[in-house]
Amino acid sequence: MSAGQLSRLYQAGKVSPVEVVDAHLARINATEPVLNSFTTLLPEEAQAAARRAESEIQAGKFRGPLHGIPVGLKDLYNTAGVRTTSGSRIFDNFVPGEDCTVAARLLQAGAILLGKLNMHPLAYGPTGENSDYGHMHNPWDPEVVAGGSSGGSGSAVAAGQCTIATGSDTGGSIRIPAALCGIVGFKPTYGLVSKHGLTPLSWSLDHPGPMTRTVEDAALAMNAIAGHDARDPASARADIPDYTNGLTGDIRGLRVGVPQEFFEAPLDPQVERAVRAAIDVLADRGAAVTEVSFPMFGQSDPISTAIIMAEAAAYYRDLLSTDADKMYPPVRLRLEAGLFISAADYLRAQQARSMFNEQARRLLEQVDLLAGPTEPVTAPKLLSNSVQAGERKVGTVTALTQYTRAYNITGFPAVSVPCGFDESGLPIGLHLAGRPFDDATVLRAAHAYEQATDWGQQRPPV
Amino acid sequence: MPEDQRLSYDAFLALAEAVGVDVSGRHGEELFPIVQNVLSGLDALRDIDTAGAEPDMAFVVESKDASAERGQDSAGS
Repeated sequence: MSAGQLSRLYQAGKVSPVEVVDAHLARINATEPVLNSFTTLLPEEAQAAARRAESEIQAGKFRGPLHGIPVGLKDLYNTAGVRTTSGSRIFDNFVPGEDCTVAARLLQAGAILLGKLNMHPLAYGPTGENSDYGHMHNPWDPEVVAGGSSGGSGSAVAAGQCTIATGSDTGGSIRIPAALCGIVGFKPTYGLVSKHGLTPLSWSLDHPGPMTRTVEDAALAMNAIAGHDARDPASARADIPDYTNGLTGDIRGLRVGVPQEFFEAPLDPQVERAVRAAIDVLADRGAAVTEVSFPMFGQSDPISTAIIMAEAAAYYRDLLSTDADKMYPPVRLRLEAGLFISAADYLRAQQARSMFNEQARRLLEQVDLLAGPTEPVTAPKLLSNSVQAGERKVGTVTALTQYTRAYNITGFPAVSVPCGFDESGLPIGLHLAGRPFDDATVLRAAHAYEQATDWGQQRPPV
Repeated sequence: MPEDQRLSYDAFLALAEAVGVDVSGRHGEELFPIVQNVLSGLDALRDIDTAGAEPDMAFVVESKDASAERGQDSAGS
């Protein structure tokens, strides 16, 4: 059940937070041996919080739509008194003294923390593979990846272990697991949600955001977590609307551009068919769909790679000198390779980024949204080095970040919403992006699509 | 990048020493091809004509008075 549905039932007195938290804990007990979504579980704390929420709601002190809603936080969100591992045994005993801003805002809104969610070590990888806390498994098929780096968040929400989860997205780490697990993943505009108290990977590309079963829940989460925070140097001053206001289902007249370059890149034909059909649904709902061109899209890989690798290496340089041998080996290799990137190449990537951003901004003067696939393939098998995308064989990391990293470069808001399944029964995601700080339009279009189809109502077999 | 222009192993060792990465034993053999690929991939950046483009430091979105307010907690935590 979604947060929106639960909240309405709470207000009507038809179900209580205690019952809901108990049901989620039972679901976790039943599925966690297969999925491995959590690094830390907080059952007693969650039950105590549920009893408090129940008393408050019964006493008429209803805090809002997230009151009594069970949530999970990716394990790089600092939580006061609860260990925060960033997916690495190096931080197995790190217990922050205070909550990050997002955690504080969610708890203030009445959300109940069930636990911390497993992730690709140090958030540096798109698959959700982790030798320290165990690999994350996809609820649609435990033999395939959940995606990453927010893999535990993706699997937990898809499997009904929690109602809302948080992720962080540097090259796609919210949208990748959302697409591969068949849920909604929303990466807000850069600076709209505070990064204060999150372990960084790449300061200029990191975006925190919600992962949910419905677009309405993503909007509800945004209502709680968006807004300026003086403790995040990148935090933007922007008007924060009620993100649920635009969820009317009406997208008549909305201009949707479909970059032709998205379909010239390596792409599984099953994914292409599902995404083109989804775009047709947007047109049927009254959107004006046109093909557009985004010539620099193909440069998103080298631009993003140089920036992520250099910034991540800078952040982890000291740790590499003391604890490199304790790092997940593929992550260690990537971090060390980043040290070989020169300052001149890093700044050239930032120069190219300005050109990329200018082109993307001009594109969004012609249209209101850009649409395409979130992923070129469905979830690959665990520990696969490469995937088959149509007729082309592509490295797994390159493939999984092919479409997502462009909007980390630009900072534009972007969402993945379920739009079908392949012949193996694995989910496919539709990717929509909009103008900076026009997050509401992105959510509005995703919601209209969601309401017109039933893909998001399918439940995994686990 | 043509094969003969790719980073040589000797150059890799010199760079590794300069940036402080221990490449002794098998680890160095694993890291070398990765660094080669990363540096080759940067050629795509050098092919972009960036003349006149200033680096986009998008993470500096400082707006008015943000620096003055830094240190205050708007989250209530």
